[in-house]
Amino acid sequence: MREEFRLLIALQDLDIMIREAKEQSTSDQYRDMGFKLTGLEELLGARSKLSGKIPPALRNRYEKLAAHYKLAILPVTGNKCLGCFVKLPTSFFSSAYSSELLTCENCGRLLYIP
Amino acid sequence: MKSNAIAALFHERFCIFNLRSRKKVSALQEMVRHLKTQGRITDEQFILEMLKNRESLGSTGLGNGVAFPHGRSIAIKELTVLFARASAGVDFEALDEEPTYIFFLILAPSEKGAEIYLALLSELISLVQQPAKLEQLRAVKDFPSLIEILGGNSA
Repeated sequence: MREEFRLLIALQDLDIMIREAKEQSTSDQYRDMGFKLTGLEELLGARSKLSGKIPPALRNRYEKLAAHYKLAILPVTGNKCLGCFVKLPTSFFSSAYSSELLTCENCGRLLYIP
Repeated sequence: MKSNAIAALFHERFCIFNLRSRKKVSALQEMVRHLKTQGRITDEQFILEMLKNRESLGSTGLGNGVAFPHGRSIAIKELTVLFARASAGVDFEALDEEPTYIFFLILAPSEKGAEIYLALLSELISLVQQPAKLEQLRAVKDFPSLIEILGGNSA
């Protein structure tokens, strides 16, 4: 997979974690279990650093999608986009695209073939 | 979550009874590599980065010799639980600053909510708070014994 796509996926993984740490109900549950979530600033710093390594056009596309959907990048399961559940064309699964992040033609999310 | 349901999430292929690493990052690496070797994940780098980031949010080494590294990633296809036991102990930067001997690594797909592992975490934490169970986990050497400790049917 191309490095810029790897970075984008890592950015989303980080965003999921930051969202969890910021969500009151989730962070309360973590604290009740004994976890200390004291490194949020560190995570935000890591996000900023990671984000700076992604080409601006790709990063902007991700940010727009992430503002609209809970997840901008989704895995493909059972030949369907897991965001809008539209069946994807068979051409998506040709080896020519195996190193790419693809776009769902219906909802615009980025798709990752695991 | 019933104890049988918890035990059902554990698989012999995803257990390490002799974790060799002594430091935090190498221990995470060893566990993630094991999952790759067992075909559970395809890209160990995504998972390792995610787990390292999770540790920077706050150590998942909760003390009493037990850690619960966890997180969600697009590189995870289904909920995965790995058990590891390190008889020599790992410097996991635990909250009590003591070595960690027992690991429950929990990985979930990104499209699932945090609740997918919060309930499991809560149950496992309750389990290790029982001194007898904790002592048994510290000594466990095989999968049937592990399942028995977790309250499942090892038969």
